[in-house]
Amino acid sequence: MESLKESELRLFIDSVRRYFEVTSRVPVEITSAYLGMGALHGHEFNGIVTFSGPLTGQVTVSLPMRAVCELLLIQRETKLTEANLLDAVGEIANTLAGNARRHLGSEVDISVPTTVRGPRIDTRQACRHPYVITFRWNTYPGLVCVDLAPTG
Amino acid sequence: MKLLVVDDSNMVRSRIARIVQGGALGAVTLVGMARDGAEALRAARQASPDLVTMDLTMPEMDGLACIPALLAAHPRTRILVISALDDKSTAIRALRLGAHGFLPKPFTDEALQLALHGLVQHKA
Repeated sequence: MESLKESELRLFIDSVRRYFEVTSRVPVEITSAYLGMGALHGHEFNGIVTFSGPLTGQVTVSLPMRAVCELLLIQRETKLTEANLLDAVGEIANTLAGNARRHLGSEVDISVPTTVRGPRIDTRQACRHPYVITFRWNTYPGLVCVDLAPTG
Repeated sequence: MKLLVVDDSNMVRSRIARIVQGGALGAVTLVGMARDGAEALRAARQASPDLVTMDLTMPEMDGLACIPALLAAHPRTRILVISALDDKSTAIRALRLGAHGFLPKPFTDEALQLALHGLVQHKA
């Protein structure tokens, strides 16, 4: 399948910046953006949103445990259980996907987030070379994998 | 005024609860939290909330299905939608279904306080 245009994928870069800056008031540094090839090694906590309708595929947000803990602490959440950490990374994925939909079209459907613990990211669901954005927030690394393609 | 918080994310529910319990919205008391639309309807039957914060993307029953059902049973309740689906057509759809305000995610504490304050004033 044909992958998304670069301009459309920039939406996700903007969404990543906006999410962390609004939520934590700590800016995000985008460290790289590239087309992924083969298996992708992410971080420990992963939130995944599935797209359907005119776009098919998924968007994954991957963060190390310490980053998710820090984000919860900034929001004054002190119960740093695995369930809360997974919930948080799922909510970040939901927010990035929802915000990007504003530009992708309201006919695009997004799922409720699912969450996975473990560094292996299941890529190439929709396109051969998913778009990978790496970033640094508050000294911690993070990654967003945009694996989307027009349906059909 | 009694507030019910509806969101499938525990992080968001807890954050809204902390902001409200912090006292910046003096007259508002948290009376319940729900993680989807069906749970929200059950909670509303018990607590008869004056105000509801409502997420849209949720399992079981989503926010757009819950808004008219909740207002049918509690017509005086005021609903603030808080959602990452921040496109204009979704916001208009929520307002046409009877929601009274729309706050896009991500949001700051101040933005939430302002939005809830507006609903409180209108209710009063």
